[in-house]
Amino acid sequence: MGWKLFFWLVICFPTSIALLATTFYQVLILSDLESDYINPFDASSRINYFVLPEYIVQGALCVLCLFTGHWLMFFLTLPVTCYHIMRYVKREHLIDVTEVFRGLNAERKFRLAKLVMYLILLIVVIFRLTLIGIYYLGIETDDDPGSFW
Amino acid sequence: MGTENPGRPGFPARPASSPFAAAPQTATPFSSTGAVAGSDPPPFRPTAMPPPPQAPSPFSSSGPPVRPGVPGFRPAPTGTFNDPSLPPPQPPIANAPPAAGTFQRFPPPPFSSSAQAPLQQRAPFVGQPSIQQSASQPPSFPEPPQPQTPFVQMGPPPQSTSPAPMGSNVPTPTYQPSFPGYARMQQPPPVHSSFPPNQGNYGPPPAAASSPFLPHQGGYAPSPAMAAPLGMQPPGSGPPIGGIQGLTEDFNSLTVQTRPGTMDPLFDAKELPRPLDGDVEPKNLDDMYPMNCHPRYLRLTTSAVPSSQSLASRWHLPLGAVVCPLAEPPEGEELSVVSFAPASVVRCRRCRTYVNPYMTFTEAGRKFRCNVCTLLNDVPSEYYAQLDATGKRVDLDQRPELTKGTVEFVAPAEYMVRPPMPPVYFFLIDVSISAVRSGMIQIVAETIKSCLDELPGFPRTQIGFATFDSTIHFYNMKSSLTQPQMLVVSDLDDVFVPLPDDLLVNLSESRSVVESFLDNLPSMFQDNVNVESAFGPALKAVFMVMSQLGGKLLIFQNTLPSLGVGRLKLRGDDSRVYGTDKEHVLRLPEDPFYKQMAAEFSKFQISTNVYAFSDKYTDIASLGTLAKYTAGQVYYYPAFQSAIHGEKLRHELRRDLTRETAWEAVMRIRCAKGVRFTTYHGNFMLRSTDLLALPAVDCDKAFAMQLSLEETLLTTQTMYFQVALLYTASCGERRIRVHTMAVPVVTDLGEMYRLADTGAVVSLFSRLAIEKTLSQKLEDARSTVQLRIVKALKEYRNLYAVQHRLANRMIYPESLKFLMLYGLALCRSMALRGGFGDVPLDERCAAGHTMMVLPIKRLLKLLYPSLIRLDEYLLKVDLKSIERRLPLTMESLDSRGLYIYDDGFRFILWFGKGASPEIAKNLLGEDFAAELSKAALSEHDNEMSRGLVRVLEKFRNSDRAYYQLCYLVRQGEQPREGFLLLTNLVEDQMGGNNGYSDWMLQISRQVQQ
Repeated sequence: MGWKLFFWLVICFPTSIALLATTFYQVLILSDLESDYINPFDASSRINYFVLPEYIVQGALCVLCLFTGHWLMFFLTLPVTCYHIMRYVKREHLIDVTEVFRGLNAERKFRLAKLVMYLILLIVVIFRLTLIGIYYLGIETDDDPGSFW
Repeated sequence: MGTENPGRPGFPARPASSPFAAAPQTATPFSSTGAVAGSDPPPFRPTAMPPPPQAPSPFSSSGPPVRPGVPGFRPAPTGTFNDPSLPPPQPPIANAPPAAGTFQRFPPPPFSSSAQAPLQQRAPFVGQPSIQQSASQPPSFPEPPQPQTPFVQMGPPPQSTSPAPMGSNVPTPTYQPSFPGYARMQQPPPVHSSFPPNQGNYGPPPAAASSPFLPHQGGYAPSPAMAAPLGMQPPGSGPPIGGIQGLTEDFNSLTVQTRPGTMDPLFDAKELPRPLDGDVEPKNLDDMYPMNCHPRYLRLTTSAVPSSQSLASRWHLPLGAVVCPLAEPPEGEELSVVSFAPASVVRCRRCRTYVNPYMTFTEAGRKFRCNVCTLLNDVPSEYYAQLDATGKRVDLDQRPELTKGTVEFVAPAEYMVRPPMPPVYFFLIDVSISAVRSGMIQIVAETIKSCLDELPGFPRTQIGFATFDSTIHFYNMKSSLTQPQMLVVSDLDDVFVPLPDDLLVNLSESRSVVESFLDNLPSMFQDNVNVESAFGPALKAVFMVMSQLGGKLLIFQNTLPSLGVGRLKLRGDDSRVYGTDKEHVLRLPEDPFYKQMAAEFSKFQISTNVYAFSDKYTDIASLGTLAKYTAGQVYYYPAFQSAIHGEKLRHELRRDLTRETAWEAVMRIRCAKGVRFTTYHGNFMLRSTDLLALPAVDCDKAFAMQLSLEETLLTTQTMYFQVALLYTASCGERRIRVHTMAVPVVTDLGEMYRLADTGAVVSLFSRLAIEKTLSQKLEDARSTVQLRIVKALKEYRNLYAVQHRLANRMIYPESLKFLMLYGLALCRSMALRGGFGDVPLDERCAAGHTMMVLPIKRLLKLLYPSLIRLDEYLLKVDLKSIERRLPLTMESLDSRGLYIYDDGFRFILWFGKGASPEIAKNLLGEDFAAELSKAALSEHDNEMSRGLVRVLEKFRNSDRAYYQLCYLVRQGEQPREGFLLLTNLVEDQMGGNNGYSDWMLQISRQVQQ
């Protein structure tokens, strides 16, 4: 039981919050860039700073879910991971400062989509956390919370 | 009438034609009808008969006959214009015919009045001309011979002859109504039903008619007719003559013929349109908006903005502009420089548009209304002037910014983020062994030295030098030294700059040191045997030196970068990559280092020009990136040999150093609400969504952009564009160059085609195609060009297919008649041609980089070079022959002649086999029989040779941006003749490439699918 709590509370919860936050930040910067509140040099360096960490954290989470047998979480994170791998392999993961305006809309759309994915992830995590909380508080006694899934 | 009667049964059909015919007649001057008349089928005349009487009237304007005739003419107008003809409507009598040519005939049975009969009889003779329209008529008529005529330049004479129709336009809107009506009439049944009413309207009582008609008639006389509509029409909305002629034929066409003996269709090669006059700048807005900037600065792909998104989506060509903000004005024409000091520049408060001729002053001069956003602004007190009785400012003649489309403002301190920079030139020169051997260093040093006096911005100009092989060498040129001091940096991983302050020095202070450096440079390295190139680290080091001020960096590069960051590999010699998805990667920079450096350069106002000389692969794709994002330029001299290419390098470097340059510039193009520029194409970096950062820009650079409609419907009549270039002039003044242009907003697709500008379209096309080669295969880029041309022509065809008999004909707008040829030339240009074996990768990339910056005129010349016969001129047989450009096909080459091929970048002199040996001897000297690849052209002591040199000089002076080296080739001298000239004859079929007529056939087939 301790592991479960540890997994959901200490690993998944902060990770999904972090992913959500960085993506939101990137979307924000892109919007600023479009309305000319920030220059492309700063914008791309700020975004690029977060790109690799985000990829690594997200990938790690995905792998972890796979190995711990959290299938739902795994399948939720899988598409984004694949997308990340694809971008990385094509060397398109970093924003190209010279062409940033050309791909601005696409970049933002991708990030918005990612934002939604991360949001779903977070909701699932919170839900699981709640279930675990309920379980620990003894409100629901018999069942293993995992069996709902 | 009696004669006609037999025809009557068939009439139902005819009527349609006649109304139609009538309308065009009225509108189009008679000349047009006349022109067409020849082709008209006689059978039509009967229909014409009603009109015939009329016809005479307009021409002869004879009193009595006129009346009856007149009505015939009016019909169309009445419907459309509601003009004077209206009065007659009341009495429904015999005059019914007037209603429309069509109607007249029907009436005959009921109406046939004695008066008419005589008239009609005449009709056959006179009426014929008017009938031309018949093409659109129902089949009941005998087939009109027209279609068979091989090449019908239908473009109605009036149209084509009056290049500036805008002013005198008859509004299309007025005419449009007539179209629907026309359509209805075509169907016999409706005609009948409608007939009676018409009769009522139109038929004036014979007696009464005479008086009303006469005046009317006047109205119809060709020119007056036009005038009348004009009055009604709001200025600017007018789709001019085009509209009218839509009724006749508004387009050019080619007829597909059949090759004798076979069934293969083909076009007559002689009839294909060719741009033998070079680029023609659009003039059609001159009358309407005389205060627009000159087209050399700003050209739109069509000088008519579509009024709705749906209309824009039917325009399949690029919709956008090509801007050359610093284009050279012709000799003697000066730009007006306006200073508002001590006040600031007058601009609209909301949209920041600069004051321009289209702003209107109101409230006794205290306010002005912005033409772009219609906001009412206060006039600054320093700028106030009273208005005279006509509402114009009294000081109008002293205010060039209110009368001219192009002005330059002196920008006050708020337009500066730092004090204006001095002109800075930094030279980064490769001194590895291959550079030394090619002789490049020698020529560069000599040329720079000779240009020192002409560098712009004396006495503030700064200059610096660095050289590199496997190490980086800097030169301390402090003015207190007598000899430059060389500082060598060999640590390539952690580059540092020794003495950062003395490497970039003021030219006037350190003049003697600089000169002694340039004198010594070639000898310093003449024994260098270093084969490495630490280009990347050198670039970083130079960046550190220049980042304080910015400026212009000239890179002379001879060896593939092999050490430190930015190392490049040999690539591009693998033919298997071509045709796969990886093909485009070859044309992209290999190492992201170059993009990063380019971005840094742009940020610190450094512009990079790359001169590449290697005989081996140098990866222009990567090096060119430096120029691409810093508003620079790529010069490529494959296998440079100073003896051969020295002169070219000398001229082009000199031009680069001495032409007027705008420093630390930004450019923005503004337009009124509802339209937005979305993509930009050229050498620059975008600083924000619509701000182009140009660290250094000059007259040889053009930028293209595409626009899109943001709102579904534009309500304004006129759209304004304003290009503003904020820059530091070499003299140290901060300036804003402003170009303003107004264009009409139109609701009619035909009008957009009429005002299209082939040059701008082709320029945008080529930039889009070249960009496409960076992400896709060459093949795809070429087929996209073709596809877009096909789509555009198809849409155009649909405009006219209903009214005209178009089978077996290819139609295209007069304004775009060269588009197909330029499209073909683009697909066969160096940048897009063939595949692996056709053009070396470096040359392809260099050509692509060059085409991305070329102004329209030069691009069109490169795509369709001029071919001129010289021997007749040199022998003084025909002095005019030198002005005659020939079609680019083998058939133009007479083996007895001497021809020159000039694409703006090089000359190719072609000696025919049968040319008299005299010519060759005179021009080439005694060894004229030797192989021409080794022969050089120099002046000999005879009249003919001097004449040739004069001619070449004249051609070179017509465009000095590049120096044209002269290559000599003899007919049949393979393979040299092949790659120098034959592949460039774009009209001929060559290898897998289409010839012109095949290309046209392909397009016309796809259009008609």
